Amino acid sequence: MTHEAPVAVLDDDADLAATVARLLGRNGIAALAFTAPQEVLAALAGTAFGCVVSDIQMGEMDGFAFAEALRARDPAVALVFMTAWPTTAHAVDAVRRHGGIDYLEKPIDEPRLIAAVTEGLAWSARQRRIAAVAAVLTRREREVLDLMVRGYTNKEMAPVLGISERTVEDHRASIIAKTRTNGMAQLVALSRGETI
Amino acid sequence: MIARHAASVFRTAPLRGLALRREDAVLLALYALGFALLHWAARPWGGAGFFSLWYPAAGLRFAVLWGRGARLTPWLVLAELATDWTVGVFSLGDPNVAQAITGAMRPGLTCGFAIALVRHLAKGRGDALALPPMMLGLAAVTAPALNALMVVPFEAWLPVEAGRYRSGVDIAISLTGLAVGDLLGILVLAPLLLWLAALARGAAPLRLRAVFSGSHLRPLLEDVLVMALCLLLTIALWRAGLGAQPAPGLLAGAWIGLRHGRTAAWFAICAQVCVFLPYSAGALGDAQRLELHLGLAAVVLVTWLAGSFSDAQKASRMLLDKRNRLLFQAERLKTLRAMSVAVIHEISQPLSTLAIEAAHLKSVTAHLDADTAASAALVDRKARALSDLVRRLRRFGGRDVDEPSPVPVAMLVQTACQIVAPEARAAGGRLDCAPVAADLAVQAQEIELTQALVNLLRNALAASPGQVVRLAALPRAEDVRIEVSNPAPSSPDAASGGMGVGLAIARTIVEAHGGTLTRHDEPGLVRFTISLPLLTGAFA
Repeated sequence: MTHEAPVAVLDDDADLAATVARLLGRNGIAALAFTAPQEVLAALAGTAFGCVVSDIQMGEMDGFAFAEALRARDPAVALVFMTAWPTTAHAVDAVRRHGGIDYLEKPIDEPRLIAAVTEGLAWSARQRRIAAVAAVLTRREREVLDLMVRGYTNKEMAPVLGISERTVEDHRASIIAKTRTNGMAQLVALSRGETI
Repeated sequence: MIARHAASVFRTAPLRGLALRREDAVLLALYALGFALLHWAARPWGGAGFFSLWYPAAGLRFAVLWGRGARLTPWLVLAELATDWTVGVFSLGDPNVAQAITGAMRPGLTCGFAIALVRHLAKGRGDALALPPMMLGLAAVTAPALNALMVVPFEAWLPVEAGRYRSGVDIAISLTGLAVGDLLGILVLAPLLLWLAALARGAAPLRLRAVFSGSHLRPLLEDVLVMALCLLLTIALWRAGLGAQPAPGLLAGAWIGLRHGRTAAWFAICAQVCVFLPYSAGALGDAQRLELHLGLAAVVLVTWLAGSFSDAQKASRMLLDKRNRLLFQAERLKTLRAMSVAVIHEISQPLSTLAIEAAHLKSVTAHLDADTAASAALVDRKARALSDLVRRLRRFGGRDVDEPSPVPVAMLVQTACQIVAPEARAAGGRLDCAPVAADLAVQAQEIELTQALVNLLRNALAASPGQVVRLAALPRAEDVRIEVSNPAPSSPDAASGGMGVGLAIARTIVEAHGGTLTRHDEPGLVRFTISLPLLTGAFA
């Protein structure tokens, strides 16, 4: 089980960061250890991380502020939080407001960490594929694709978008050519971020 | 339907409070007898315009109404009327029978009203005046004053027999005589009767040995000396022809009362009364007797109020001390929590690393020589045990702090059982929570106290895995005892880690609530008992 996107492990305790990164490595997940939030944000320029495992209490920038900075730069990164000061309020915040996959108490439960990171990587990969599809299409083509996967026929689509049926057909052909897909089923899978 | 039923209950509740109970009927029969005797005994101190300047029957009346509550007033008045009629104070054929009856009813009614009034005014007040000793003193003064003041309104509507009061001076003398007689009777007799009643109930322990011990001897000698000097001074002034001067007696009474409280004050009052009453019962003119008793009443009044005030001060100081102790315990609890949270945090950080690496080491050394593999396995096991301990410790320290409020014990027990029951099931054990009487309540911070119970239950479950842990709550005198028991572990060191901290936190919480946490083992049984003061409706 290998994933292309690596995992970033962030904890101000360098030993723990390195240990968690090695633990993930032993489980077939490529991981890099970091001790400062800025290092991770700087590394984003060269690497697209699939998942970030982050401590919540860190020196100058706490885990939640870091999560917002990270999401602003790359919305397709999955987040797993870990903490030595667990509170119910934190747990709810971590999962609801900051889109965390899981919230782990230290000392860390190994199987739960592996499961959370694996799930995070899969989620991130889907998000990236959706983004990749969206990137090659024009704005109008994205609208047409959106309606197509929701089951609209060309005839139904035309009045909704305010264009002629003929123009819809042109967009449709262009989408199929650009995504190199074959039929509706593949288009639907693509729009959900699944592999074809 | 239910609402109407509830409404009718509320409407009849005050009437039900007035209903005559069986023990009250016995008391009233005894009262009627005592009243008649004391009424008769008061005659030597009589005079024109007043019945007696020393009226112990008023003391008996006051003691009964104070001890049993003003609700008994109507029945007590009836008993007095029946006594008066039986001994011939008035007869039904008498043309002035209406006046006689209202006159006989007035003292009982005003006494009941005065007691109810003082109790009502003291309700909700936090200062020394509202403390029980001071309340009794105030009521003892209010009752005779009110009795005398109400004579005029009670008799204003009646056709007064001609020439009963010839002038305003006569009225003043009559009312003063009445008030003085009642006041002396109440302050001499009521404290003694109330103390005897408390003794009979078992509420006031008899400590004769303590009275004669060294610590009580010095104050006793001091009081006797002061009293003797002042009595000598009074007699000297009398002999010098200056009349019965109350000043020396006032000085002695105030000194003794303020220094040593109500008990000393009562003995001082008795000493004064014993010296003066036999003398004033002799051949004295009304004016002289009234003058003497007025002075005596002033002395008795000041002595009793001084004693009451001293006791009230002492009670309020004790209340303050208790509050300070609770505050100190709460502060300690806060520090203990903050420390344990900090320690848990500091430990869990390096422990995370240690546990992961130990697990790794164990898996990669499994195929190496037996000695290396065993070492690695041991390190891994210890790291995991330590991780479990940290997780358990985290659960012991609750975080939320709430305001103290009346909490039913049944609710505490139920909540604690609900929290721990799933853990007990998961560990293969069982929790047996006995039903708790619904009327048991304590003044508590609910979350804190629940935490203390949960800690004890968790300790018990950890100490005897797979067995039944029992939780029960029973009232014992003025406390409630909440007991957590489990079968004694077969080996003494089977207990798992972290139990000491859970117990320490539980103990600190319980002590912050003014209670105790003790261990009473029986053969084959470990039992921890939380003892907490029960919340009762009555303040006194």
